[in-house]
Amino acid sequence: MTDAVIIVLREVLEAMLLICLLMASSTAMGVRVKWLVASLVIGMIGASLYGVNLETVSMAFAGFGQELVNSGLLIAIALLLAAHNFLATRKMIDSDYTTPVLLLQFLCIGIVSMAVTREGAEIYLYLYAYGVLADNMNSVFSGGAIGMGVGLSFGTFFYYGLSALKSRRRLLVCCVLSLVLAAGMMGQAAFYLSQADILPSQFTLWDTSGVVAESSLIGELLHAAIGYEASPTLTQAFLYLGSILISLLAMLLAWWIARQRVAVKKESC
Amino acid sequence: MSYRHRSVMCALVFIFATWPVAMTWAQTPVFEIEIREHLFFPAELVIPANQKVKLIIYNRDPTPEEFESYELNREKVIVGNSQGIVFIGPLKPGEYPFFGEFNLKTALGKIIAK
Repeated sequence: MTDAVIIVLREVLEAMLLICLLMASSTAMGVRVKWLVASLVIGMIGASLYGVNLETVSMAFAGFGQELVNSGLLIAIALLLAAHNFLATRKMIDSDYTTPVLLLQFLCIGIVSMAVTREGAEIYLYLYAYGVLADNMNSVFSGGAIGMGVGLSFGTFFYYGLSALKSRRRLLVCCVLSLVLAAGMMGQAAFYLSQADILPSQFTLWDTSGVVAESSLIGELLHAAIGYEASPTLTQAFLYLGSILISLLAMLLAWWIARQRVAVKKESC
Repeated sequence: MSYRHRSVMCALVFIFATWPVAMTWAQTPVFEIEIREHLFFPAELVIPANQKVKLIIYNRDPTPEEFESYELNREKVIVGNSQGIVFIGPLKPGEYPFFGEFNLKTALGKIIAK
């Protein structure tokens, strides 16, 4: 049962951070959180399809289909998060700016459904094999429910914490969080690609597992939040920084456009 | 000896001199681990340090397992009665624990790089 708690909690935590962050920034941009139901439904369908077909996927691409799908999802999420940062920054600088509702909803649905697909597939696989097939429903599913509950309450706490901030500050915090989340995902994509020998294998740069072990609770939280990695490689660090750079460029561009619009508005007044 | 001859000679010398290096480069050592009854066999695997290694993990159980290691930065789901390949290293000498995420209490092992 404790296995089920830990497995479900680990997967839920990461998705939860993303969902709550996007909920908080959507409301700050004046967009209602209508996208949530759609993205959860699409995500769960995606997760079951991925889980059911995991064997076929794994065998594809010379046995590295899993790594390719996972890194593809992670990179796509990271890029969509950068686009989200663009919209959030425009709203942050220019409070009169009306956020394109459809575009933001599309971004949120894309990000959340892909995250749920990736995390959910593992939960699906575990619950199905160890709960349904092993006829151990009670213990596995109650463990899973506890894990889910802890994850959800953590998310609620996080969401209301963010919502307590005024909208401009909330957008800033959301941008910074999404920046580091995206960077962590890029770093993780890097290790999937080196696991498949697509990116070159390298020695690790340093090892801080003596300070904060990745397996510890703080390590897990840090991993989910900022992609904490006790022993990263050079490519991983490179992609991590690259992702931060992409997000920053998107935000700078948004800042520049928004500033110009504000200046034009002042002149016409 | 003309310039042309000299460059051909140089190329040949270079090829023969680097032949052994190129051979080891091409041949990544392969190691195997089996999962049976939610246990890893062998639970301790010795591999050469400072070299990339190809690890084939056979899952002989009908249930899926996730091979995972924080120290190796590796994570891969291996469905029941199938196999998965994971490239690891190059590793500095030392011990690198790994575990099966779906059976945290039993599925434990470590890679020892020497």
